[in-house]
Amino acid sequence: MIDDLYLIEKHAYRSSIVHLMDARVKLLIVLAFIVAIVAVPYSVRVIELGAIFFAFFAGLWCCSRLSPLIYARRLVLILPFGIFLILFQIFFKNRYYDIFHPIATLPFGIEVYAESAEFASILFVKFIVSVSFIILISSTTRMQDLLDASRRLGLPQEFVLPLGMMIRYLFVFAEMIGKVRCALDTRCFDPFDRHLPYRYRLRQVGYTIGMIFIRSYEQGERTYTSMLCRGYGENARAHLVKKPLRPREVSFFAGTLIFIAVATAVVYLHP
Amino acid sequence: MHIPDAFIPIGQSVIYWIIALAFIILSLRWARKSMGEERVPLVAVLAAGVFAIQAMNVPIPWGTSGHMVGAALAAIVLGSPYAGVFVLTLVLLVQGVVFGDGGITTMGANIVNMGVVGGFVGYYGYAALQGIVRSPYAAAFAAGWASLFVSAILCAGELAVAGTFPLGFGLVSMGLYHAVIGVIEGGITAVALYLISSARPDILEHPQVVSG
Repeated sequence: MIDDLYLIEKHAYRSSIVHLMDARVKLLIVLAFIVAIVAVPYSVRVIELGAIFFAFFAGLWCCSRLSPLIYARRLVLILPFGIFLILFQIFFKNRYYDIFHPIATLPFGIEVYAESAEFASILFVKFIVSVSFIILISSTTRMQDLLDASRRLGLPQEFVLPLGMMIRYLFVFAEMIGKVRCALDTRCFDPFDRHLPYRYRLRQVGYTIGMIFIRSYEQGERTYTSMLCRGYGENARAHLVKKPLRPREVSFFAGTLIFIAVATAVVYLHP
Repeated sequence: MHIPDAFIPIGQSVIYWIIALAFIILSLRWARKSMGEERVPLVAVLAAGVFAIQAMNVPIPWGTSGHMVGAALAAIVLGSPYAGVFVLTLVLLVQGVVFGDGGITTMGANIVNMGVVGGFVGYYGYAALQGIVRSPYAAAFAAGWASLFVSAILCAGELAVAGTFPLGFGLVSMGLYHAVIGVIEGGITAVALYLISSARPDILEHPQVVSG
Protein backbone atom coordinates (compact mmCIF):
# COMPACT_ATOMS: atom_id res chain seq x y z
CA MET A 1 0.00 0.00 0.00
CA ILE A 2 2.72 2.41 1.01
CA ASP A 3 4.47 1.70 -2.32
CA ASP A 4 1.66 3.53 -4.14
CA LEU A 5 1.96 6.63 -2.01
CA TYR A 6 4.18 8.56 -4.43
CA LEU A 7 2.10 7.53 -7.41
CA ILE A 8 -1.18 8.64 -5.80
CA GLU A 9 0.33 11.97 -4.79
CA LYS A 10 1.83 12.40 -8.25
CA HIS A 11 -1.64 12.11 -9.78
CA ALA A 12 -2.98 14.57 -7.21
CA TYR A 13 -0.42 17.16 -8.32
CA ARG A 14 -1.82 17.32 -11.84
CA SER A 15 -4.07 20.15 -12.96
CA SER A 16 -7.69 19.94 -14.07
CA ILE A 17 -11.04 21.40 -13.18
CA VAL A 18 -11.49 18.62 -10.61
CA HIS A 19 -8.00 18.99 -9.20
CA LEU A 20 -8.51 22.74 -8.77
CA MET A 21 -11.88 22.38 -7.04
CA ASP A 22 -11.83 23.23 -3.32
CA ALA A 23 -10.93 20.13 -1.30
CA ARG A 24 -13.84 20.78 1.12
CA VAL A 25 -16.34 20.53 -1.72
CA LYS A 26 -14.76 17.32 -3.00
CA LEU A 27 -14.56 15.80 0.47
CA LEU A 28 -18.19 16.56 1.30
CA ILE A 29 -19.44 15.39 -2.09
CA VAL A 30 -17.55 12.10 -1.79
CA LEU A 31 -18.92 11.60 1.73
CA ALA A 32 -22.43 12.36 0.50
CA PHE A 33 -22.22 9.80 -2.32
CA ILE A 34 -20.79 7.12 -0.01
CA VAL A 35 -23.33 7.73 2.74
CA ALA A 36 -26.17 7.80 0.18
CA ILE A 37 -25.23 4.51 -1.48
CA VAL A 38 -24.59 2.82 1.88
CA ALA A 39 -27.77 4.20 3.42
CA VAL A 40 -30.16 2.85 0.79
CA PRO A 41 -31.60 -0.51 1.89
CA TYR A 42 -30.30 -3.75 0.37
CA SER A 43 -32.53 -4.18 -2.69
CA VAL A 44 -32.03 -4.52 -6.45
CA ARG A 45 -32.73 -0.82 -6.84
CA VAL A 46 -29.25 -0.24 -5.45
CA ILE A 47 -27.93 -1.46 -8.80
CA GLU A 48 -29.89 1.21 -10.67
CA LEU A 49 -28.86 3.94 -8.25
CA GLY A 50 -25.28 2.68 -8.28
CA ALA A 51 -25.22 2.98 -12.07
CA ILE A 52 -26.39 6.62 -11.86
CA PHE A 53 -23.81 7.44 -9.18
CA PHE A 54 -21.10 5.66 -11.14
CA ALA A 55 -21.98 7.69 -14.26
CA PHE A 56 -21.53 10.86 -12.18
CA PHE A 57 -18.19 9.55 -10.94
CA ALA A 58 -17.15 8.68 -14.52
CA GLY A 59 -17.99 12.23 -15.61
CA LEU A 60 -15.83 13.70 -12.86
CA TRP A 61 -13.03 11.25 -13.68
CA CYS A 62 -13.12 12.38 -17.34
CA CYS A 63 -12.96 16.00 -16.20
CA SER A 64 -9.90 15.16 -14.07
CA ARG A 65 -8.04 14.22 -17.28
CA LEU A 66 -6.63 11.13 -15.57
CA SER A 67 -6.33 7.94 -17.57
CA PRO A 68 -8.95 5.23 -16.97
CA LEU A 69 -5.98 2.90 -16.52
CA ILE A 70 -5.02 4.78 -13.36
CA TYR A 71 -8.51 4.14 -12.00
CA ALA A 72 -8.37 0.49 -13.08
CA ARG A 73 -4.97 -0.04 -11.48
CA ARG A 74 -6.04 1.46 -8.18
CA LEU A 75 -9.33 -0.42 -8.24
CA VAL A 76 -7.48 -3.72 -8.71
CA LEU A 77 -5.39 -2.92 -5.64
CA ILE A 78 -8.45 -2.10 -3.52
CA LEU A 79 -10.74 -4.90 -4.75
CA PRO A 80 -9.22 -7.68 -2.62
CA PHE A 81 -10.26 -5.76 0.52
CA GLY A 82 -13.90 -6.54 -0.18
CA ILE A 83 -14.25 -8.94 -3.06
CA PHE A 84 -13.75 -12.14 -1.05
CA LEU A 85 -16.47 -11.16 1.40
CA ILE A 86 -18.73 -10.50 -1.59
CA LEU A 87 -17.92 -13.76 -3.39
CA PHE A 88 -18.66 -15.84 -0.29
CA GLN A 89 -22.17 -14.35 -0.12
CA ILE A 90 -23.48 -16.58 -2.92
CA PHE A 91 -23.14 -19.67 -0.70
CA PHE A 92 -25.00 -18.30 2.31
CA LYS A 93 -28.58 -17.51 3.15
CA ASN A 94 -29.05 -14.10 4.70
CA ARG A 95 -31.74 -12.29 6.64
CA TYR A 96 -32.66 -9.96 3.78
CA TYR A 97 -34.63 -12.60 1.87
CA ASP A 98 -37.38 -14.96 3.03
CA ILE A 99 -37.10 -17.65 0.37
CA PHE A 100 -33.93 -18.98 -1.27
CA HIS A 101 -33.85 -20.85 -4.59
CA PRO A 102 -30.76 -22.99 -5.31
CA ILE A 103 -29.38 -22.39 -8.81
CA ALA A 104 -26.37 -24.70 -8.56
CA THR A 105 -25.18 -27.49 -6.33
CA LEU A 106 -21.46 -27.93 -5.77
CA PRO A 107 -19.57 -30.88 -4.24
CA PHE A 108 -20.05 -31.48 -0.48
CA GLY A 109 -23.64 -30.29 -0.81
CA ILE A 110 -22.69 -26.63 -1.13
CA GLU A 111 -25.50 -24.71 -2.84
CA VAL A 112 -25.51 -21.41 -4.68
CA TYR A 113 -28.72 -19.43 -4.20
CA ALA A 114 -30.23 -16.99 -6.68
CA GLU A 115 -31.15 -14.56 -3.91
CA SER A 116 -27.66 -14.76 -2.38
CA ALA A 117 -26.11 -14.03 -5.78
CA GLU A 118 -28.43 -11.03 -6.06
CA PHE A 119 -27.39 -9.87 -2.59
CA ALA A 120 -23.72 -10.27 -3.55
CA SER A 121 -24.26 -8.10 -6.62
CA ILE A 122 -25.95 -5.43 -4.47
CA LEU A 123 -22.97 -5.43 -2.09
CA PHE A 124 -20.63 -5.32 -5.08
CA VAL A 125 -22.34 -2.24 -6.52
CA LYS A 126 -22.28 -0.44 -3.16
CA PHE A 127 -18.62 -1.37 -2.69
CA ILE A 128 -17.54 -0.29 -6.18
CA VAL A 129 -19.35 3.07 -5.97
CA SER A 130 -17.81 3.78 -2.55
CA VAL A 131 -14.24 2.92 -3.50
CA SER A 132 -14.54 4.73 -6.84
CA PHE A 133 -15.27 8.00 -5.08
CA ILE A 134 -12.38 7.35 -2.67
CA ILE A 135 -10.09 6.79 -5.67
CA LEU A 136 -11.39 10.01 -7.22
CA ILE A 137 -10.72 12.21 -4.20
CA SER A 138 -7.31 10.72 -3.40
CA SER A 139 -6.21 10.92 -7.05
CA THR A 140 -7.26 14.54 -7.47
CA THR A 141 -6.51 16.05 -4.04
CA ARG A 142 -3.14 16.44 -2.38
CA MET A 143 -2.90 15.01 1.13
CA GLN A 144 -2.01 18.41 2.56
CA ASP A 145 -5.09 19.93 0.88
CA LEU A 146 -7.23 17.16 2.36
CA LEU A 147 -5.85 17.97 5.79
CA ASP A 148 -6.45 21.71 5.32
CA ALA A 149 -9.99 20.97 4.14
CA SER A 150 -10.59 18.83 7.23
CA ARG A 151 -9.31 21.67 9.42
CA ARG A 152 -11.61 24.16 7.72
CA LEU A 153 -14.47 21.73 8.27
CA GLY A 154 -13.72 21.53 12.01
CA LEU A 155 -11.24 18.70 12.62
CA PRO A 156 -10.22 18.94 16.31
CA GLN A 157 -7.00 20.87 16.86
CA GLU A 158 -5.50 17.93 18.79
CA PHE A 159 -5.65 15.88 15.63
CA VAL A 160 -4.38 18.51 13.23
CA LEU A 161 -0.71 18.54 14.18
CA PRO A 162 -0.24 14.76 14.60
CA LEU A 163 -2.17 14.03 11.39
CA GLY A 164 -0.24 16.64 9.42
CA MET A 165 3.06 15.32 10.67
CA MET A 166 2.02 11.75 10.08
CA ILE A 167 1.15 12.52 6.46
CA ARG A 168 4.50 14.25 5.97
CA TYR A 169 6.43 11.36 7.44
CA LEU A 170 4.54 8.74 5.50
CA PHE A 171 6.71 9.71 2.55
CA VAL A 172 9.86 9.41 4.66
CA PHE A 173 8.82 5.93 5.71
CA ALA A 174 7.82 4.90 2.23
CA GLU A 175 11.41 5.61 1.26
CA MET A 176 12.72 3.89 4.37
CA ILE A 177 10.71 0.75 3.61
CA GLY A 178 12.20 0.74 0.12
CA LYS A 179 15.72 0.97 1.58
CA VAL A 180 14.99 -1.75 4.14
CA ARG A 181 13.73 -4.07 1.40
CA CYS A 182 16.80 -3.25 -0.67
CA ALA A 183 19.08 -4.05 2.30
CA LEU A 184 17.30 -7.37 2.87
CA ASP A 185 17.62 -8.22 -0.83
CA THR A 186 21.32 -7.34 -0.77
CA ARG A 187 21.78 -9.88 2.02
CA CYS A 188 19.79 -12.43 0.00
CA PHE A 189 17.22 -12.62 2.78
CA ASP A 190 13.76 -13.56 1.63
CA PRO A 191 11.16 -13.85 4.40
CA PHE A 192 9.22 -16.22 2.16
CA ASP A 193 12.18 -18.58 1.59
CA ARG A 194 11.00 -21.91 2.99
CA HIS A 195 14.56 -23.22 3.17
CA LEU A 196 15.12 -20.95 6.15
CA PRO A 197 13.71 -21.90 9.57
CA TYR A 198 10.43 -20.12 10.24
CA ARG A 199 11.57 -18.83 13.64
CA TYR A 200 14.67 -17.32 12.05
CA ARG A 201 12.59 -15.56 9.37
CA LEU A 202 10.14 -14.26 11.98
CA ARG A 203 12.99 -13.01 14.17
CA GLN A 204 14.64 -11.16 11.30
CA VAL A 205 11.38 -9.53 10.23
CA GLY A 206 10.69 -8.70 13.89
CA TYR A 207 14.07 -6.98 14.20
CA THR A 208 13.41 -5.06 11.00
CA ILE A 209 10.04 -3.88 12.27
CA GLY A 210 11.50 -3.02 15.67
CA MET A 211 14.22 -1.05 13.88
CA ILE A 212 11.60 0.87 11.86
CA PHE A 213 9.78 1.54 15.12
CA ILE A 214 12.97 2.91 16.75
CA ARG A 215 13.87 4.91 13.66
CA SER A 216 10.41 6.43 13.56
CA TYR A 217 10.70 7.36 17.22
CA GLU A 218 14.15 8.88 16.73
CA GLN A 219 12.85 10.77 13.72
CA GLY A 220 10.09 12.07 16.00
CA GLU A 221 12.70 13.26 18.50
CA ARG A 222 14.68 15.08 15.82
CA THR A 223 11.47 16.61 14.50
CA TYR A 224 10.52 17.80 17.98
CA THR A 225 13.94 19.42 18.47
CA SER A 226 13.74 21.21 15.13
CA MET A 227 10.19 22.32 15.92
CA LEU A 228 11.38 23.75 19.24
CA CYS A 229 13.99 25.74 17.30
CA ARG A 230 11.17 27.21 15.22
CA GLY A 231 9.22 28.28 18.27
CA TYR A 232 6.91 25.31 18.79
CA GLY A 233 5.25 25.20 22.19
CA GLU A 234 2.20 23.94 24.01
CA ASN A 235 -0.05 26.62 22.56
CA ALA A 236 1.44 26.59 19.06
CA ARG A 237 -1.13 26.47 16.26
CA ALA A 238 -0.38 25.90 12.60
CA HIS A 239 -1.54 28.87 10.56
CA LEU A 240 -4.34 28.31 8.10
CA VAL A 241 -5.27 30.92 5.54
CA LYS A 242 -8.98 31.70 5.32
CA LYS A 243 -10.35 30.51 2.04
CA PRO A 244 -13.98 31.27 1.26
CA LEU A 245 -15.68 29.06 -1.30
CA ARG A 246 -16.21 30.55 -4.75
CA PRO A 247 -19.81 30.91 -5.94
CA ARG A 248 -19.36 28.26 -8.64
CA GLU A 249 -18.02 25.81 -6.03
CA VAL A 250 -21.03 26.48 -3.79
CA SER A 251 -23.33 26.01 -6.80
CA PHE A 252 -21.62 22.75 -7.77
CA PHE A 253 -21.82 21.48 -4.21
CA ALA A 254 -25.50 22.37 -3.84
CA GLY A 255 -26.30 20.98 -7.29
CA THR A 256 -24.59 17.68 -6.50
CA LEU A 257 -26.45 17.30 -3.21
CA ILE A 258 -29.73 17.95 -5.01
CA PHE A 259 -28.70 15.42 -7.68
CA ILE A 260 -28.01 12.77 -5.03
CA ALA A 261 -31.33 13.42 -3.29
CA VAL A 262 -33.36 13.49 -6.50
CA ALA A 263 -31.67 10.40 -7.99
CA THR A 264 -32.26 8.44 -4.79
CA ALA A 265 -35.88 9.57 -4.56
CA VAL A 266 -36.63 8.85 -8.23
CA VAL A 267 -35.11 5.36 -8.11
CA TYR A 268 -36.98 4.44 -4.94
CA LEU A 269 -40.32 6.05 -5.67
CA HIS A 270 -40.44 4.73 -9.22
CA PRO A 271 -42.95 1.84 -9.25
CA MET B 1 -9.90 -7.01 9.07
CA HIS B 2 -10.61 -3.61 7.53
CA ILE B 3 -14.38 -3.67 6.94
CA PRO B 4 -15.19 -1.87 3.66
CA ASP B 5 -18.20 0.41 3.09
CA ALA B 6 -21.56 -1.30 2.46
CA PHE B 7 -20.90 -4.31 4.68
CA ILE B 8 -22.52 -2.70 7.71
CA PRO B 9 -25.90 -0.93 7.40
CA ILE B 10 -25.78 2.80 8.03
CA GLY B 11 -27.71 2.64 11.34
CA GLN B 12 -25.24 0.20 12.85
CA SER B 13 -22.31 2.14 11.42
CA VAL B 14 -23.53 5.20 13.32
CA ILE B 15 -23.53 3.20 16.57
CA TYR B 16 -19.93 2.04 15.97
CA TRP B 17 -18.94 5.61 15.11
CA ILE B 18 -20.43 6.84 18.40
CA ILE B 19 -18.49 4.20 20.36
CA ALA B 20 -15.32 4.99 18.42
CA LEU B 21 -15.77 8.75 18.96
CA ALA B 22 -16.14 8.20 22.71
CA PHE B 23 -12.79 6.41 22.77
CA ILE B 24 -11.20 8.94 20.41
CA ILE B 25 -12.24 11.74 22.79
CA LEU B 26 -10.77 9.76 25.71
CA SER B 27 -7.58 9.19 23.75
CA LEU B 28 -7.38 12.92 22.97
CA ARG B 29 -7.85 13.63 26.67
CA TRP B 30 -5.05 11.15 27.40
CA ALA B 31 -2.91 12.83 24.75
CA ARG B 32 -3.48 16.25 26.33
CA LYS B 33 -2.80 15.07 29.89
CA SER B 34 -0.11 12.45 29.50
CA MET B 35 1.64 13.02 26.24
CA GLY B 36 2.90 16.52 26.79
CA GLU B 37 3.92 18.78 23.94
CA GLU B 38 7.17 16.87 23.37
CA ARG B 39 5.38 13.59 22.74
CA VAL B 40 2.91 14.88 20.14
CA PRO B 41 5.49 14.84 17.31
CA LEU B 42 6.79 11.51 18.58
CA VAL B 43 3.39 9.85 18.49
CA ALA B 44 2.61 11.38 15.10
CA VAL B 45 5.79 10.08 13.56
CA LEU B 46 5.20 6.78 15.32
CA ALA B 47 1.80 6.57 13.60
CA ALA B 48 3.58 6.93 10.26
CA GLY B 49 5.95 4.19 11.43
CA VAL B 50 3.03 1.88 12.31
CA PHE B 51 1.57 2.62 8.87
CA ALA B 52 4.89 1.57 7.31
CA ILE B 53 5.08 -1.52 9.52
CA GLN B 54 1.65 -2.55 8.25
CA ALA B 55 3.15 -2.53 4.75
CA MET B 56 5.64 -5.24 5.73
CA ASN B 57 4.24 -8.60 4.72
CA VAL B 58 5.27 -11.50 6.90
CA PRO B 59 4.99 -15.18 5.92
CA ILE B 60 2.49 -17.41 7.70
CA PRO B 61 3.45 -21.09 8.22
CA TRP B 62 0.77 -22.47 5.84
CA GLY B 63 2.02 -20.47 2.88
CA THR B 64 0.08 -17.21 2.83
CA SER B 65 1.14 -13.88 4.30
CA GLY B 66 -0.16 -11.24 6.66
CA HIS B 67 0.88 -8.06 8.36
CA MET B 68 0.72 -6.80 11.89
CA VAL B 69 -1.75 -4.16 13.12
CA GLY B 70 0.52 -2.58 15.73
CA ALA B 71 -2.05 -1.37 18.29
CA ALA B 72 -0.70 -3.66 21.01
CA LEU B 73 2.90 -2.62 20.33
CA ALA B 74 2.03 1.10 20.39
CA ALA B 75 -0.01 0.69 23.59
CA ILE B 76 2.72 -1.32 25.36
CA VAL B 77 5.58 0.96 24.31
CA LEU B 78 3.73 4.21 25.02
CA GLY B 79 2.29 2.84 28.25
CA SER B 80 -1.41 3.37 27.67
CA PRO B 81 -4.22 1.62 25.77
CA TYR B 82 -5.30 5.06 24.57
CA ALA B 83 -2.00 5.32 22.68
CA GLY B 84 -3.19 2.36 20.61
CA VAL B 85 -6.52 4.12 19.96
CA PHE B 86 -4.82 7.41 19.07
CA VAL B 87 -2.22 5.92 16.74
CA LEU B 88 -4.61 3.51 15.02
CA THR B 89 -7.22 6.27 14.51
CA LEU B 90 -4.64 8.31 12.59
CA VAL B 91 -3.56 5.26 10.59
CA LEU B 92 -7.11 4.14 9.76
CA LEU B 93 -8.11 7.67 8.77
CA VAL B 94 -5.37 7.86 6.14
CA GLN B 95 -5.91 4.26 5.02
CA GLY B 96 -9.64 4.83 4.55
CA VAL B 97 -9.60 8.24 2.87
CA VAL B 98 -6.48 7.89 0.73
CA PHE B 99 -6.03 4.18 0.06
CA GLY B 100 -9.58 2.85 0.24
CA ASP B 101 -8.47 0.25 2.79
CA GLY B 102 -11.48 0.15 5.09
CA GLY B 103 -14.61 2.19 4.52
CA ILE B 104 -15.66 5.67 5.56
CA THR B 105 -19.01 4.70 7.10
CA THR B 106 -17.39 1.60 8.63
CA MET B 107 -14.36 3.46 9.96
CA GLY B 108 -15.99 3.65 13.39
CA ALA B 109 -16.23 -0.15 13.50
CA ASN B 110 -12.65 -0.48 12.28
CA ILE B 111 -11.39 1.93 14.94
CA VAL B 112 -13.31 -0.03 17.60
CA ASN B 113 -11.93 -3.37 16.35
CA MET B 114 -8.31 -2.50 15.75
CA GLY B 115 -7.67 0.61 17.82
CA VAL B 116 -9.86 0.17 20.89
CA VAL B 117 -9.88 -3.63 21.22
CA GLY B 118 -6.34 -3.97 19.88
CA GLY B 119 -5.02 -1.30 22.24
CA PHE B 120 -6.93 -2.36 25.35
CA VAL B 121 -6.49 -6.14 24.95
CA GLY B 122 -2.85 -5.61 24.02
CA TYR B 123 -2.06 -3.30 26.92
CA TYR B 124 -4.06 -4.95 29.71
CA GLY B 125 -3.27 -8.45 28.42
CA TYR B 126 0.41 -7.57 28.61
CA ALA B 127 0.07 -6.06 32.09
CA ALA B 128 -1.92 -9.03 33.41
CA LEU B 129 0.22 -11.74 31.83
CA GLN B 130 3.52 -10.26 33.02
CA GLY B 131 2.71 -11.29 36.58
CA ILE B 132 1.83 -14.80 35.49
CA VAL B 133 4.45 -15.77 32.91
CA ARG B 134 7.27 -13.64 34.41
CA SER B 135 8.70 -12.92 31.00
CA PRO B 136 7.84 -9.58 29.41
CA TYR B 137 8.41 -10.98 25.93
CA ALA B 138 6.19 -14.02 26.45
CA ALA B 139 3.56 -11.63 27.84
CA ALA B 140 3.99 -9.35 24.82
CA PHE B 141 3.63 -12.32 22.48
CA ALA B 142 0.43 -13.50 24.15
CA ALA B 143 -0.97 -9.95 24.39
CA GLY B 144 -0.19 -9.26 20.73
CA TRP B 145 -1.79 -12.53 19.67
CA ALA B 146 -4.87 -11.94 21.84
CA SER B 147 -5.28 -8.35 20.59
CA LEU B 148 -5.56 -9.55 17.00
CA PHE B 149 -7.66 -12.63 17.77
CA VAL B 150 -10.23 -10.75 19.86
CA SER B 151 -10.41 -8.00 17.23
CA ALA B 152 -11.09 -10.59 14.52
CA ILE B 153 -13.80 -12.29 16.58
CA LEU B 154 -15.45 -8.92 17.20
CA CYS B 155 -15.23 -8.13 13.48
CA ALA B 156 -16.95 -11.46 12.68
CA GLY B 157 -19.64 -10.59 15.22
CA GLU B 158 -20.22 -7.17 13.69
CA LEU B 159 -20.60 -8.63 10.20
CA ALA B 160 -23.03 -11.21 11.57
CA VAL B 161 -25.11 -8.52 13.29
CA ALA B 162 -25.07 -6.61 10.01
CA GLY B 163 -26.37 -9.72 8.24
CA THR B 164 -23.58 -9.71 5.67
CA PHE B 165 -21.71 -12.79 6.91
CA PRO B 166 -23.03 -15.77 8.91
CA LEU B 167 -21.84 -15.91 12.52
CA GLY B 168 -20.72 -19.53 12.63
CA PHE B 169 -18.70 -19.43 9.44
CA GLY B 170 -17.37 -15.98 10.27
CA LEU B 171 -16.21 -17.04 13.73
CA VAL B 172 -14.54 -20.19 12.43
CA SER B 173 -12.88 -18.64 9.36
CA MET B 174 -11.91 -15.32 10.94
CA GLY B 175 -11.01 -17.03 14.23
CA LEU B 176 -8.83 -19.72 12.61
CA TYR B 177 -7.16 -17.35 10.17
CA HIS B 178 -6.38 -14.74 12.80
CA ALA B 179 -5.36 -17.34 15.36
CA VAL B 180 -2.55 -18.18 12.91
CA ILE B 181 -1.94 -14.63 11.75
CA GLY B 182 -1.90 -13.60 15.42
CA VAL B 183 1.39 -15.49 15.71
CA ILE B 184 2.86 -12.72 13.57
CA GLU B 185 1.32 -9.98 15.68
CA GLY B 186 2.47 -11.66 18.89
CA GLY B 187 5.89 -12.72 17.61
CA ILE B 188 6.76 -9.36 16.17
CA THR B 189 5.37 -7.47 19.17
CA ALA B 190 7.69 -9.55 21.39
CA VAL B 191 10.74 -9.25 19.10
CA ALA B 192 10.22 -5.53 18.55
CA LEU B 193 9.79 -4.99 22.30
CA TYR B 194 13.01 -6.90 22.94
CA LEU B 195 14.85 -4.81 20.38
CA ILE B 196 13.49 -1.53 21.74
CA SER B 197 14.24 -2.44 25.36
CA SER B 198 17.79 -3.41 24.34
CA ALA B 199 18.57 -0.52 22.00
CA ARG B 200 16.48 2.34 23.39
CA PRO B 201 15.05 1.45 26.82
CA ASP B 202 14.35 5.15 27.42
CA ILE B 203 11.65 5.03 24.75
CA LEU B 204 9.53 2.67 26.82
CA GLU B 205 7.03 4.39 29.05
CA HIS B 206 7.64 1.80 31.82
CA PRO B 207 11.11 0.36 31.06
CA GLN B 208 11.42 -1.27 34.47
CA VAL B 209 8.41 -3.43 33.67
CA VAL B 210 10.16 -4.91 30.65
CA SER B 211 13.57 -5.33 32.22
CA GLY B 212 12.09 -6.72 35.42
